[in-house]
Amino acid sequence: MVEIRGVRYDVGDTRILGEVSTAFRPHRFNVILGPNGAGKSTLLRIATGLLHPTAGTVRYGDRPLAGLSALALARTRAVLSQHVELAFPLAVEDVVLMGRYPHYGRTATTLDREIVHRALQLVGMVPKRTQPYPTLSGGEQQKVQMARVLAQIWNYDDASEHKYLFLDEPTSSLDVHYQLHLLDTARELLRYNCTIVAILHDLNVAFQYGDSFFLLEGGRVVHEADCADEVPGDVIERVFQVSARRVSDPVNGSGLWRFSL
Amino acid sequence: MLKRLSFAQTYLLLGVLLVISLVASAGIGAFSFTPAEMLRYLGQRLGWVPMTSADALGRSVFLTLRLPRVLLAGISGAVLGVSGTLMQGLFRNPIVEPGLVGTSAGAALGAALVFVLGGNTALAFTRPLGSLAVPVLAFLGAFGATMLVYRLSTSFGKVNVFTLLLAGIAVNAVASAGTGFLSYIAHDPQARNITFWNLGTFTTADWKGTEMVGLFFVLCFLWSLRYGKSLNALMLGENEAAFLGVNPQRLILQLLIVNTIMVAVDTSMVGVIAFVGLVIPHMLRMLKSSDYTFLLPASALFGAVLMEVIDIVARVIIPPAELPIGIITAVIGAPVFLWILLRERQRAGVGFYG
Repeated sequence: MVEIRGVRYDVGDTRILGEVSTAFRPHRFNVILGPNGAGKSTLLRIATGLLHPTAGTVRYGDRPLAGLSALALARTRAVLSQHVELAFPLAVEDVVLMGRYPHYGRTATTLDREIVHRALQLVGMVPKRTQPYPTLSGGEQQKVQMARVLAQIWNYDDASEHKYLFLDEPTSSLDVHYQLHLLDTARELLRYNCTIVAILHDLNVAFQYGDSFFLLEGGRVVHEADCADEVPGDVIERVFQVSARRVSDPVNGSGLWRFSL
Repeated sequence: MLKRLSFAQTYLLLGVLLVISLVASAGIGAFSFTPAEMLRYLGQRLGWVPMTSADALGRSVFLTLRLPRVLLAGISGAVLGVSGTLMQGLFRNPIVEPGLVGTSAGAALGAALVFVLGGNTALAFTRPLGSLAVPVLAFLGAFGATMLVYRLSTSFGKVNVFTLLLAGIAVNAVASAGTGFLSYIAHDPQARNITFWNLGTFTTADWKGTEMVGLFFVLCFLWSLRYGKSLNALMLGENEAAFLGVNPQRLILQLLIVNTIMVAVDTSMVGVIAFVGLVIPHMLRMLKSSDYTFLLPASALFGAVLMEVIDIVARVIIPPAELPIGIITAVIGAPVFLWILLRERQRAGVGFYG
């Protein structure tokens, strides 16, 4: 569980985030939703430890985030960002190996190499492991980054500790195939003692993959739901300033949202 | 070809090249020495071989002039190679080198202050420093300039690379103007000294200076080896590096300090040598890998090899005179750099090294 207690974040006199108290559910795919400027990224950055809140605390399970060393934190949680570019032609497997940096000293162990290989397998990038990262397509690059964060929080035995994966708009620049592939891969992780927190922009994709939902508006959590069906249409309409209509998939009957202005 | 070798094999290859270039550089010049003569002089110095009076002149030239010079050239090449690697990693930009961010120009200004004003009462405080005055002031100048560039380009605790490059240009201009002013007001022999030394030279090499540069290089080099992984992580960006447990701001400060010490001490001895710090990591990246855990040791070895070759050229091209090193590195380095740039631009969209 990631517990956010009384968190506030100010830049100068401007309040970006105002008194957020919530908890991201363990072993679930938590999705942060909200319009641009609602404070989603700020909340995620505070939850990952990148930003320090002006007031309030963040706890991972029973451990306060502020009490964890940078290295201990890096072994516990990983963050996948929107798009990561490299100015230098590092090989794919060397990029993935970076995920193991918090775990080894001078040289990588065979276990680290093994984990890199398994992570590459999971995203289907083993055949391109020796290619220079900058030569890959945007979708392939994001797969490699996914493998890197997987390697970072890889649980190689059953008794290992709880891990946290944060996804910061990970699919924004991806086509639909890579989007679904990446989110499927992330969901796989839930079986291995992991909590996922994601910012997603496509509401239908979010409701398809998410378990718990946190709607942000003006720096506050205005609605929480533990099931996609529990997110009311009128809240979506108000928060995103659109009109929303729910239609059902003719094949499996699941709900889909149609939006218009 | 090099891509097939392991890192260890590549170090070995570079090590062999270094030995060959050291022997060649020690042998070639106004006085030439065969490897057998060199070994005999060394043996005599160490007391393993009996001294003969016939060897006196050759031995003296080799041991007091040639050998420190050859070693100083090698160490300087290693310093510039490692420094270029560190700076390119710090700025995540392959065109950065110590000359670009004010380090060299700041060191030059600091040292020029001692050369021109050292005898005056205004700088009497440098007297207790004795022969350390030049390197100490060079360090202060280099650190001041680099720190100023760093401060100018930092906002909200983050370094903006573009501002940093522009700030580097401005600070370089100011430092060069300062050095220029000093050489203008200087008496003739000093002025000549500054000009010559602004282009880099190994002619003033002696054992004392070589030992000092060597000591600082070894310490800074061993220190910098700790940052290989962090520099790799920094390639992903400051935030991603932070997610991997690296503190980017602390890393940047430590890199600036270790780099400045190394470059300032070296610059105070041999002057400003451009382009070596730029070309060394470039070539190693193209030939082998961009992994900083490899680049740091490899750029030390390769930098030393390249500098020996350049020093040989400097000594033989217009005998009996000698060309300043900086002229040769610029003449060779700038076209190589442009060629790399053009070649890589043709493979558009895949970064600098495709």
